[in-house]
Amino acid sequence: MTPPRRTHPVTPLVTGVRAAPVLIIGIFVVGDGAATDIFGGLGTSAVITLILLAVGLYSYIAWTRLEFFYDDDGDLRITSGLLVRNERRVQLSRLQSVDVTQPLLARLFGLAELRPDVAGASAEGTTLRYLSLDDAQQLRAELLARAAGMRSREGAAVSTAPEQVLVQVPPPHLLASLILQPGTVVLVLLIPAVVAVAGVAGVWELGITGILLLAAPITVVGGQFLKYFGFTVAQSPDGLRLRFGLTSHRSQTVPPGRVQAVRIERPLMWKPWGWVRVVVNVAGTAGGSEGEERPSVVLPVAPLPVARAVLHRVLPGVDPFAVELHPAPVAARWRAPLQYKNLGVGSTSSVFVTRRGWLVPRWDVVPHARTQSVRVVQGPWQRRLGLASVHVDSTPGPVSIVALHQQADRARTIGQEQARRAGLARRLGGPGQPESATLPPDDQSADDARFW
Amino acid sequence: MPEHPRAGGRLLDVSTDPFVADERGWTPVNPRLATGRRVVSISIAALVTALLVVTLVVGGYPELGFIALMVGLGAGLWMWWLIGRQVRAIGYAERDDDLLVVSGILFRRLVLVPYGRMQLVDVRRGPLERYLGLATVQLHTAAATTDATIPGLPPDVAGRLRDQLAALGEQRSAGL
Repeated sequence: MTPPRRTHPVTPLVTGVRAAPVLIIGIFVVGDGAATDIFGGLGTSAVITLILLAVGLYSYIAWTRLEFFYDDDGDLRITSGLLVRNERRVQLSRLQSVDVTQPLLARLFGLAELRPDVAGASAEGTTLRYLSLDDAQQLRAELLARAAGMRSREGAAVSTAPEQVLVQVPPPHLLASLILQPGTVVLVLLIPAVVAVAGVAGVWELGITGILLLAAPITVVGGQFLKYFGFTVAQSPDGLRLRFGLTSHRSQTVPPGRVQAVRIERPLMWKPWGWVRVVVNVAGTAGGSEGEERPSVVLPVAPLPVARAVLHRVLPGVDPFAVELHPAPVAARWRAPLQYKNLGVGSTSSVFVTRRGWLVPRWDVVPHARTQSVRVVQGPWQRRLGLASVHVDSTPGPVSIVALHQQADRARTIGQEQARRAGLARRLGGPGQPESATLPPDDQSADDARFW
Repeated sequence: MPEHPRAGGRLLDVSTDPFVADERGWTPVNPRLATGRRVVSISIAALVTALLVVTLVVGGYPELGFIALMVGLGAGLWMWWLIGRQVRAIGYAERDDDLLVVSGILFRRLVLVPYGRMQLVDVRRGPLERYLGLATVQLHTAAATTDATIPGLPPDVAGRLRDQLAALGEQRSAGL
């Protein structure tokens, strides 16, 4: 057991600042009558002072009660609680990743919160807030190093793993890519139409509604822009490191071998610029309310060659665009007229690839060694056309793999083959081994234009 | 146990149907499952019909009540027939490397789970299932979308299947 450590001494101030306004407003707005009754004799400022004192005291005691240390097994323990003592254990052998985030308020004080992500545990009890940014980064490096089996001697400083920046998304690119999404474009085009109809029909309320509609795309684009602002992808020994966010800064690590599936999408309007987006499923990130905090977007927008270089880091030695895809039969046109031309399925010795989508064509890639199960499904209309779809199940996440509307007789073969390869890859790969933790040789940018 | 040559009880063209059995055939589930499901859905249908008929007759529309009764009867018969077909459509096959589960009539599905990917095998027995002497086996993998459930198994078969699957899973390595 190591000597217990505390979070940063400014913490009670930050938590207090975070909680006090809510309490004050709550007491004055919701409990107006009661507040006047109880504090009747006191002035408003006296009540506020009282609340501030109480909040401050509480925050201070809570801070003194929160301690973290490594236990004899080498796992991280966090004890906390005023009246009820909580002791939480972060089992480092099951550590998936460690996020360091800087919410706006913490950022003003130069602080950060650290969130160890452990398979099957909720993040709430194990989030350490707040640490100074340096401490947080160092603790993260320490946790990851310990998790990787490199026990550091007590006290000896563990340097943050050196990293090499691979990609930085320029803000103008990001903004342009967000505006050029089908949803945004459709909404923006819809507004003049609504206004025009209103003008012709002379219903001015409708016109105003149309203009108000503009708020929706602005909110969405603005939110995404703030979220992914300054997106940086860096390679470090403990995995691919992602850093992004303007108001709330986040840092996520995608450990090698934890990537379960990858989606590359290219909205129609991005085609002239050759941009794509890369999204992944990472193991141990089963949804929950913190779902959005997990690594999912690995690259919000980048030119294809850049995206490929990143792809080589998450799935070493895989080039989904070099895979020959088998198109859907002509009959599929009657079931999926819009995306029919984009449907395809193929596989190599290591991955299974499907292509689908109309406004947002996408390539979904799952390594055979990461295939969990396979489903062949067929609806009545598909049966009339002699079609069937093959789903390949991956761990929970944004990427889902499905070979839509393939010829019915081929579907069974595709499914059975994939199940067989999944079993085979498993046995060759051994239990729980990451496919390859080593860095791939520098990316070759051959045949970029193959599918673009 | 007799092996059915195909699920669904209909002759299907092998070359275009992805849901036919291979040479070993589908192992059907126990027909008592149909009994259980019929009891549940028909009692609900009967209750709804009875309420409707009583309301209509008391409210002074005996003709409408009669129509409702006929519709209810028709629906009951249809459910009886449909559930029979649905249960007959369920089948599974334990192959060398994976388990296959087939189900559905209108929307058909075939789930293939490689033994090495199973994380957990559940055996469940609800009150009605216990009364009928049945159990449900469910396979879990690391994917939430895996839906490999085999209902309507006699408890001894379910237990044997669970043990066998667990052993095979262990043998074919585990992990994520």
